[in-house]
Amino acid sequence: MAAEISDRVRAIAKARDLPESEVFERALERGLEELWEDLVLAQYLDGELDREDAIEHVGRTKVERAERERAAVEEDVDWGLNA
Amino acid sequence: MTLAAVSDAGPLIHLAEIDSLELLATFNTLLVPETVYEELEAGDVPDELSALPFELVKADENGVESEELDAGERAALAVALRRELVLLTDDLAARKTASDAGVEVHGSIGIIALGYGRGLIDRGQAASLMHALQRETSLFVTEAVVERGIRMLDEQ
Repeated sequence: MAAEISDRVRAIAKARDLPESEVFERALERGLEELWEDLVLAQYLDGELDREDAIEHVGRTKVERAERERAAVEEDVDWGLNA
Repeated sequence: MTLAAVSDAGPLIHLAEIDSLELLATFNTLLVPETVYEELEAGDVPDELSALPFELVKADENGVESEELDAGERAALAVALRRELVLLTDDLAARKTASDAGVEVHGSIGIIALGYGRGLIDRGQAASLMHALQRETSLFVTEAVVERGIRMLDEQ
């Protein structure tokens, strides 16, 4: 995995004409953004964050999709355990 | 309870990606529309699919019109409607269209829960598979939603 990461960083740096440190910085920013969105949605779905605050942090589209996913998963698990 | 279902490509691909296609053997009858099978053939048909007792069927798509759905989803929905079967899909748009049409519809998470509910896998395996579904497959599902599903395994 470490070798794969190094290979990819080198490939991206070469293709984009960027220093490898810049590639790492951008990767960290993107990864952190994803982890932040996961946290916000988890807090909203667990009732620790209200809907408007969640929308402000990650946008309406992601909140509405998470709501649809939650309804589907709850229906599915309930069905699976009782079918 | 006897279980009969028709699947689009989603659950077949996603369960294969976590080596769990055998959970579909829980269904007494499993139909796969030819259109769906052709979609699988366009990629890689999962090897484990051949071990499942599924039946290939033609779909009459008259009456199923939705620009949001792909050909496989429309075919699977058409079969579910005509034969009054459970539709298996992981696509939220297909799920809504089916539900609006009065078809019972479930996805890969439900199939894992079903395997647990019927004793094919234990709670730890079910949780592990749900995590794998979220982290290791092409299915997009929010992590917090999967965690909610895992907690529900303990609540019932």
